[in-house]
Amino acid sequence: MPTYTAAEKRHWSFQPVTVAPTPSFTAPADRAWAQNPIDAFILERLLKDGLRPAPRADRITLIRRVTLDMTGLPPTPAEVDAFVADRAPDAWARVVDRLLASPAYGERWAQHWLDVVRFGETEGFEYDNHRPDAWRYRDYVVHSLNNDKPYPEFVKEQLAGDEMNPNHEQLRIAAGFQRLGAIRRNAGNQEVASSRNEVLTEMTNIVGSAFLGMTLGCARCHDHKFDAIKQSDYYRVQGYFASTFDQDIPLTPAADQAAWKKKFDEVEASLKKIESKMKLLKGDELVRMQSEYKAKEAELPEPLPSLFSVKNDPAKTSPIHLLARGEYELKGAAVGMRPPGILAGPDLPELPLGTENPRTKLADWMFNGNNPLPARVMANRLWSYHFGRGIVATPNDFGRMGARPTHRELLDYLADQYRGNGWHLKPLHRQILLSNTYQQAVTNPLSGKLAAEKDPDKSLLWAFPRKRLDAEQIRDGMLAVSGQLNAKLGGQSVLLPVQPELVNLLYKPHQWVATKDAAEHNRRSLYLIQKRNLRLPFMEVFDLPDRSASCARRESSTHAPQALELLNGDTSSRLAQALAARLRAEAGPTPAKQIDLAYRLATSRLPSAAEKQTALAFLRTQPLEEFALAILNLNAFLYVN
Amino acid sequence: MSTKPEEHVRYTRNRREFLTDSMCGFGALAFAQMAQAANPLAPKPSHHPAKAKNVIFLFMAGGPSHLETFDPKPLLNKLSGQKRPAEFGEAKYQFVQNDAKLLGTKRSFAQYGQSGLWVSDLFPHQAKIADDLCVIKSVTGDMVVHSAAQYQMMTGRILPGFPSMGSWVVYGLGSEASSLPSYCVLPDPDGALEAGQPMYMNGFLPAVYQPSMLRPGPKPVLNLDLPKNVQFDSRRKTIDLIKRLNEQNPDGEDPEFAARMSAYDTAFKMQTEAPEVFDVMKESPATLAMYGVGQEPTDDYGRRCLLARRMVEKGVRFVCVVSGGGPGDLQWDAHGDIEENHLRMAAQADQPIAALIQDLKQRGMLDDTLVLWGGEFGRSPEAQTGKGRDHHNLGFTMWMAGGGIQGGQSIGNTDAIGLKAVEDVHHFRDIHTTILHQLGLNQDALSFLHQGRKERLTEIHGEVIRKAVG
Repeated sequence: MPTYTAAEKRHWSFQPVTVAPTPSFTAPADRAWAQNPIDAFILERLLKDGLRPAPRADRITLIRRVTLDMTGLPPTPAEVDAFVADRAPDAWARVVDRLLASPAYGERWAQHWLDVVRFGETEGFEYDNHRPDAWRYRDYVVHSLNNDKPYPEFVKEQLAGDEMNPNHEQLRIAAGFQRLGAIRRNAGNQEVASSRNEVLTEMTNIVGSAFLGMTLGCARCHDHKFDAIKQSDYYRVQGYFASTFDQDIPLTPAADQAAWKKKFDEVEASLKKIESKMKLLKGDELVRMQSEYKAKEAELPEPLPSLFSVKNDPAKTSPIHLLARGEYELKGAAVGMRPPGILAGPDLPELPLGTENPRTKLADWMFNGNNPLPARVMANRLWSYHFGRGIVATPNDFGRMGARPTHRELLDYLADQYRGNGWHLKPLHRQILLSNTYQQAVTNPLSGKLAAEKDPDKSLLWAFPRKRLDAEQIRDGMLAVSGQLNAKLGGQSVLLPVQPELVNLLYKPHQWVATKDAAEHNRRSLYLIQKRNLRLPFMEVFDLPDRSASCARRESSTHAPQALELLNGDTSSRLAQALAARLRAEAGPTPAKQIDLAYRLATSRLPSAAEKQTALAFLRTQPLEEFALAILNLNAFLYVN
Repeated sequence: MSTKPEEHVRYTRNRREFLTDSMCGFGALAFAQMAQAANPLAPKPSHHPAKAKNVIFLFMAGGPSHLETFDPKPLLNKLSGQKRPAEFGEAKYQFVQNDAKLLGTKRSFAQYGQSGLWVSDLFPHQAKIADDLCVIKSVTGDMVVHSAAQYQMMTGRILPGFPSMGSWVVYGLGSEASSLPSYCVLPDPDGALEAGQPMYMNGFLPAVYQPSMLRPGPKPVLNLDLPKNVQFDSRRKTIDLIKRLNEQNPDGEDPEFAARMSAYDTAFKMQTEAPEVFDVMKESPATLAMYGVGQEPTDDYGRRCLLARRMVEKGVRFVCVVSGGGPGDLQWDAHGDIEENHLRMAAQADQPIAALIQDLKQRGMLDDTLVLWGGEFGRSPEAQTGKGRDHHNLGFTMWMAGGGIQGGQSIGNTDAIGLKAVEDVHHFRDIHTTILHQLGLNQDALSFLHQGRKERLTEIHGEVIRKAVG
């Protein structure tokens, strides 16, 4: 078994979660502000630097902030009015509870989890085959979040659902987690061992990033250069997956499957015929035959519904060796399965490959009480999404190359609360949202100047960090504001009609067949297909992550193609027209009223006198559609305070 | 002036953090200046003095044969029809089996220029620029299938999800183009490639470093054209309205807001100025003729090579001009008939390629524009289906020209049948390292922290090809 140095063992994130006493304050203003332990930890740290928190944001800002945060959509004018008018002391708490109970909560927060688990609905690489049933996993995540499933259960189902109960549909779907990554397939001489190694690597890397905040993947080729992860640790974790193989479980009767196979075989036979003809042709004739081939290929029948899952196949268990430089041909010592040594301690035995229910054992170990990482990592993710920056700014990396926690005691407090409440997220969200820390304004008249010097990126939270909406929030917000949003929950993913030039960037353009029902085109972005080789320019330009690996935190860049997309893109043009129509229908022909409604819908507030004057002057000569387009381009729409 | 390596490594990702990081103590800067300071595309100093400013990659998709182009192998012709002698060792191919027979070439080779560079009769035009070319005959990659090999050639990794050369270069140096995207890909209108769009992408780098995929036809850049029924003047008024309303936003000033407005100005500038650049027909008849524009089969690739020059002229940092796309046989992917395929592909690309080098040279642009030529691998000495050649990654040819590269030389060698690189062997990562080096970028300093690793284009340390850089 590997050994670790004292310094390695002392690294902060491997220490047990310890609850420090909640700081107390003597000054009345401080005592009043520190409403819950979150505030106390934040305030204590601010005072150390001579800083004071910002005042509470106004009600409109608050309801807009929390609604976008929890549901991904802007609040409706009615929701804003209700909160502004509600003077009861628990008005805010009731808003928070309403949002936590909303199905849109699961839709919004599933988006975050799908980033973490590198969710994709196609295989990537040359074939980029579609996984027509991967959406079931997405719905499983939404459902799990809305039901506030305890985290150990959530993780175990994804790591080992098939082992827990092979006859349980949702568990099988959850286990599809293991196959969400890209996979290389190609014709010709298959290098089976090489491909298998790629799959095992993919399955192993995600475990470290998603659940443990450990960069396990860095130890594939050699011992980790910075963290206490040996190469043997890496391959022992891989050992848990040595028997794991893809499995698609049909959901249709045998007769349908037979009919499908018949059709498939027919088309395939014709394809083979064309192929053999192609061998004899050249030049233009060959090119013609190739397009015939493509047309025939498009006749291949749509796959029948099935469960996208995995199973253990002990007979096919891959031997696991340490691989020099990670290359499958350079085999070193053979290993079994064991969690990373630094966390497992010296006494936990290594189990042989082929041990029954291996992934259940990994999941159970993760939550056996001694492992401080899952609770810390998840609590930090929550914080990171609420504030735009984690207590640890690198949520997938709690190692030495990762950022140090800005508030270590607060992180442990949250981790402890999380474990103590039965690993439910909703109470933790609630605690954060009810804190004064969360309800601060974005500007701080008291400490702003000093704070901007001492802590320019607001990592100490002397004010609420302003955020640009992410790609999904922008598109969903535009759909909602223009009255076009189709709020249907769940189901098969949607393929939007896109420009042919974009489809032609696919090696197999026939793969992109737009969803026929146009009402589906206005569904939330969560339901848009995640095709690895065709990314929608609208989403891409606003930093939709590449889902080749886990993404813990999105970029937020600002560049000219965003402006071009929002000004000239098809989505913007279409939705600006819809918004104009809505303004006419709901506010009538009076420009002043149209302007008020547009602001209320898009920014949750009324325009200022100056804004209104500017807009009125514009509308004297310009069409309402152009005004509507401007509204969708406003900072006040695209940012949340 | 040099940049400390650490400056390219940051946890802080969004503009606010970027800005405030770089802003400490300069709180009084005017917002416009701040927006400029915060512009991630602002030109950045190189790590060491640069020889090249821009890169044009002439990507011969599908894998052109080294055996039919720059690497003559008389012994291969002698052994044609026989099994590979055991002393040459083993090779793994995608399709060809172990018992395949060697295939001689029908091309004839001659030496050109003062340097006496070997070029086959497939490339009569490139033969004329022999003294500008630095031909590297000993390139290797790790993968023998298209998608993975294309990823490695473009991004240094055999998996999708990593930033491409172009994105890395723009990340390192910023952009000099105020009215054009700084990194452009000009795909072949015949269709896409196996690795698809992800091979050109920014991977985990911010979206600001993504490529513009130029489309065929008169409107190459997405969203650069106004929607139907919208007039230019009217749209200008809309942009002014956005600007005005943003200024009046009671949320106050924010450097990020300033940056957004400057992005709108750039967008508008692109709309007004870029179409001018795309209009290659503005060039003189002599130039058009030189590139083969207006003639078949050179018209399309000629236009795109010419466009590449026009873009580089306007400060575009990295342009990739793809030859080949769609079904394998419309690429250089000559499984079925090496003669037919390569004659057809060469007829499209050879003249425009030579014209590009000559044109850059006569305009004095070749000095700081590095041109790279090649594909994701070469082709097998063995025959596939009688007349074709399979993929081959163990030793093949790429060339570089301009950008401080010493032309008129050939570097490295494959063995006597062109199976394996045996002398001055250079992996793709050496090509990458050399390009970065010429641009004044250090492969280790140009890094980005991702998933706990300082990711680099070269992954494992590459070597600068010293003979190439002189």
